[in-house]
Amino acid sequence: MTIIMSGLAIGAVYALVAIGYNIVFLSQKTFNFAQAALMMLGAFVAYMGIAVLGLPWWLVAIVAAIVIGGVAALEEVVAIRPVKDHHNLLVTTLGASIIMEGVAQLIWGGEPRRVPFFLGDGVIDLAGGRVYPVEIALVIVVVLLVVALTQYSKRSMTGIALLGMSEDREAAMLRGVNVRRFAFWAFVFTGVLAGLLGVLVGPKTYAVATLGAALAIKGFVVLAIGGFGSMWGTLVGGLIVGLTEALAARYIGGDFANLSVFFILIVILMLKPTGLFTRRTERAV
Amino acid sequence: MQRIRVKAAFAALAVSALALAGCAGGDTTSPDDNASSEGPIRVVVFGGIGAEGILANNATTSVTAAQASVAAVNEMGGILGREVVIDVIDDTADPTVAVTRLRELMASDERPHVVMNSGPSTVADAMIPILTQERVLSFNIGPTPTSGDPSVSPYNFDLSASVPDYLGSFTYELGERGYENVAILHGSSAYGELFGSLTQETFAEAGFTISGAQGYDNASLDMTPQLESLQATNPDVLVLDAYGAPLGYVLQGIERLGWDIPIMGNTSVSATGLIATEPPSGVLGTDQVRNLTMQVFKSTKFDPAATEVNEAVERMAAAGDILSSLILAYNYDGMLLVKAAAESAGSIDDVDALAAALLDEEVQQAANTQMISWYRFTADSHTPHVAPEDFLFIGPGPLVNGQYQ
Repeated sequence: MTIIMSGLAIGAVYALVAIGYNIVFLSQKTFNFAQAALMMLGAFVAYMGIAVLGLPWWLVAIVAAIVIGGVAALEEVVAIRPVKDHHNLLVTTLGASIIMEGVAQLIWGGEPRRVPFFLGDGVIDLAGGRVYPVEIALVIVVVLLVVALTQYSKRSMTGIALLGMSEDREAAMLRGVNVRRFAFWAFVFTGVLAGLLGVLVGPKTYAVATLGAALAIKGFVVLAIGGFGSMWGTLVGGLIVGLTEALAARYIGGDFANLSVFFILIVILMLKPTGLFTRRTERAV
Repeated sequence: MQRIRVKAAFAALAVSALALAGCAGGDTTSPDDNASSEGPIRVVVFGGIGAEGILANNATTSVTAAQASVAAVNEMGGILGREVVIDVIDDTADPTVAVTRLRELMASDERPHVVMNSGPSTVADAMIPILTQERVLSFNIGPTPTSGDPSVSPYNFDLSASVPDYLGSFTYELGERGYENVAILHGSSAYGELFGSLTQETFAEAGFTISGAQGYDNASLDMTPQLESLQATNPDVLVLDAYGAPLGYVLQGIERLGWDIPIMGNTSVSATGLIATEPPSGVLGTDQVRNLTMQVFKSTKFDPAATEVNEAVERMAAAGDILSSLILAYNYDGMLLVKAAAESAGSIDDVDALAAALLDEEVQQAANTQMISWYRFTADSHTPHVAPEDFLFIGPGPLVNGQYQ
């Protein structure tokens, strides 16, 4: 049971990265490969606020949301907006993540920093397994986040506009949606989310400059398995990747953890190339 | 099979280095031609002090150690009555930069008598063939497959202990503690993989039972599955290779499993700041490190009775910053070895005589080195042969001036 819980917690972290990817994908039809780096910065802000300055966690979360939201806004203006060809965004967002990692290295160095969790860092027994409180919180938060974002996209004008943009950008513009402004704020929102979640991700992963690189690929795998654009897909993809990684490492060997994840990715993409939760769309030409 | 692969890789690297050295061939210039036979003795230390993160910390410590080494030798009256001066070159831990700066240096009027390298091994791999070609005595703390081989690098001496030395110390300590069943957990870095394969071989040859061996991806965020797998084999002790955040994840995993197992960490563990930092930023003093002991050199553990080591640390603190543990301070011993060798050979200019003198057991003892007490270089190997007595296994503590308190 401990291994199952361990896998779920890791899957939740990957899913959080994938959610960030998804929001940008829905609004801009592109990927922000610096999303994991934004989460890394969120963890460092949480470290500074909680471990160094001793501030209350909720205040740290708010400050982190503002700071990382600002970083995301800057990234959008510098690395996204000026790029005409969407294919080049892979390079510019990757470049942004490298800059963020470099800045983190310069400020905090290469050593990992522990971020205390506000509900305690002691292991607790749960359903026959042993788990850290932050891991339970991560799983709960990712589920709530997916439910909230799904409902928001269905029930609010902003959400419907975003879905409209993702379906057909030009049609949305013709219907009066300011796509540039929506895309910008969606991008900023992913930064705000990364900052808010720093108080949860940091206690699980430590604040460490290499965190972005560790999360970026797995987050993308989660997205590919779940299906680009699907929020429920990120949840199921995170579950699959986290559990596969944990169970393979436990019962086959540590060297096979990544191999198993990518094997499952290939199998799923062969059976359903659009991912588990995204339907194939046909276009009349 | 893994052993064969490791050997094959080493052989390939050796052949590559030989080929590079051969290609580089051409003119060989005696230091007598350029390096001054009068005036101060010139020493140059290369280090990646402008590199990112931990590499910069390690290089800074290494460069500081070299500067303190020169200060120590000058306090003793210099070498053969001549003052020693040191220049620092920032290679940013980039082999291309290092080679460019080294070529510039060799073409200048200020050729060094001695060059010290602060690692990493990629930089050493690029520099040592040039230093060999230029017939310059060098010391290196980033060993490569050929850096300690006198047939390839006759004027280079590695200062960092070899993996077999580290493992010899582990074997000795395992025996002393009476353990029989050993579990091994290692990372996926080149060193981690080498550590994993060699520990299995060495421990098995020494009569220990390997109850289990597991690797983990250095990008993993949770090692609980591997640990639970090892726990199921019921070992007496867990031998651990981990550095940085992965060490934190391993300690979290052990705590999560409630596994009460003695942990013996390698020098990668002792080089991680997390275990030397008190909460809330680190884990020093917490239950996570309750069962942890880690491998260090004797000099890395503060001992009030070790007067000469403490003086060396004071010199280093005066010379610059010590940003990592003293395991990166081998360069302090470099100039002490040169002084003893030059005084035995009666010259600082004859690199062949210096290299030969450094093989002399009496010279090595006379050097009175402090980071490692006796290097035991031989005609077949310019790599230290560090005895288990030079190592300690200690619990984590605060790190002050590179020493665990």
